[in-house]
Amino acid sequence: MSWRPVKAVVGREMSKLFRQRARLISSMVRPMIWLLVIGSGVGSMLPGQQQEGYLTFLVPGILAMTLLFASLLSALTLVYDKEFGVMRMMMIAPIAHYWIVLSKLIAATLTAMVQAILLLVLLLVLGLVSVKIAASLLLPAVLTAICCAAIGGLIAVWSKSIDNFAVIMNFFIFPVFFLSGALYPVSQLPEMFRYIVLVNPFSYGVDLLKHAVPNVSTDFSILTDIAVLVSFSTVAILIACWRFSRESVHEPLFHRATGKR
Amino acid sequence: MASNLAIKTQGLTKQYGQALAVNGLDLEIAAGQFYGLLGPNGAGKSTTIHMLTTMTSATSGDAWIDGQAIADDPVAIRSTVGLVFQDSALDRTMSIDENLQFAAAMYNLNPQQADQRIEELLSVFSLQKQRHKKLLALSGGQRRAVDIARGVLHKPKVLFLDEPTIGLDLPNRRAIWRFVEQLRREEGMTVFLTTHYLEEAAACDQVDFIQQGQLQQGGSPKELTEQLGAYILEVDTVEPEVIKEKLSTKFGMPIQEDQQLSFKIEASDVDFQQLQYSLGDAITAMQWRKPNLNDVYLWTFCAPQQGDAS
Repeated sequence: MSWRPVKAVVGREMSKLFRQRARLISSMVRPMIWLLVIGSGVGSMLPGQQQEGYLTFLVPGILAMTLLFASLLSALTLVYDKEFGVMRMMMIAPIAHYWIVLSKLIAATLTAMVQAILLLVLLLVLGLVSVKIAASLLLPAVLTAICCAAIGGLIAVWSKSIDNFAVIMNFFIFPVFFLSGALYPVSQLPEMFRYIVLVNPFSYGVDLLKHAVPNVSTDFSILTDIAVLVSFSTVAILIACWRFSRESVHEPLFHRATGKR
Repeated sequence: MASNLAIKTQGLTKQYGQALAVNGLDLEIAAGQFYGLLGPNGAGKSTTIHMLTTMTSATSGDAWIDGQAIADDPVAIRSTVGLVFQDSALDRTMSIDENLQFAAAMYNLNPQQADQRIEELLSVFSLQKQRHKKLLALSGGQRRAVDIARGVLHKPKVLFLDEPTIGLDLPNRRAIWRFVEQLRREEGMTVFLTTHYLEEAAACDQVDFIQQGQLQQGGSPKELTEQLGAYILEVDTVEPEVIKEKLSTKFGMPIQEDQQLSFKIEASDVDFQQLQYSLGDAITAMQWRKPNLNDVYLWTFCAPQQGDAS
């Protein structure tokens, strides 16, 4: 197996990302609104020193949110390519079909990391993080990005159309984000929600990012976070590859495109 | 399997639920041949192509491409075949060059090989100057040309063309057929074609007609048209039943399309002028001509059944 096709799929996604500068810039707007508007608003309701502490607490959560949105939207290209017929150009190539999914998930991870690095630069400029903290957030961000890409891959291989993907995303993305401890400590959630946080793999990414920021309370150990992220990502990617390699998944591509047999 | 066969199938069958899309297809297509699989919509042409290019698996039966069983190593088969889909598989937001470089990389061509091949293919269609233009900026014919270039970038041994000229104007269709002819001549490519433009299939070495997943008849276009008869007689009339009654005893039942009757004439010594005179005012127009593949198609799929009274 040559790496050239994988590089081609990843390269295509990256060149599209850098070409769409508006997408890159707008991807910074959402986290900045959360951080500066929601963070300041909610923070102002907290007593004394906790006000500043809340902004620091939000940094890993907002970084995780950027990774989650970027990865999921990037995984959407799997569905987009199916819908617009471009996927057939990849399916007819002499590579095993699971490599297409793997390549797309590598691209989703890289896309998320590009946006995460941009956000960290912004946070550095605004003085919300130090260079040391920004650097120590990078490795946890990679693991979280892979986990989010895996979630996106799972959704994408089960989606038949972009509309379908959007519905599933809205159904998943908000519960996954809000029930992850990104915005508030898990210990403060009602008991029922805490169980959901425990089964949400994204929570462990958020927690791992929190470990990189001093004075931010965490809910799990670093080892637990890494073990869950690695195990979940591996299983999810394997399932996505298996599902995508099934003929019943890609066969409609050919009939839908031509509308005939 | 004989080594000079580019494609061979034995009892190739594809079933979707209760529906048989392809039913026990047996094909033998020699290397370098220009082959046409013809038939109405839903006959099983595209499903056959998708099975032969490993895009879908057969429910039963076997198939070989260039001597390799397709079920054994689909990835290897995909490096041997090229497939041009009926509708474009290209990314319209990317340029010609980006699309073809991407496709070339998917076929593991190195950048130098890719550049050279892309230049070579674009020059055939005089598209070198448009190389960096977005696909959206091209005409339908130019986009189709890029699609075909994508299909042959890796110099496949067998090229599958699924209705490649649909929706194109005559000059673009002719340009595409000149290119396909050049590929066959210079690269010895076997070409497997499906089309509804039967005059295009007249250039094939062999054609087969397929209906409901089963082969109906096949041969070279010349043989098939000769077998059909010496002439096709077309009569426009306001009294089709009268003309039918008069001529069917001599020429057999015609194909009727509104007020036009089409008869298959097997004898070559019919005096058509005398016949026209004898039919008098009952006809509004009459013409006779040599049969072509369109006639073979019509007489294969629309022929009146035995006992059809009207």
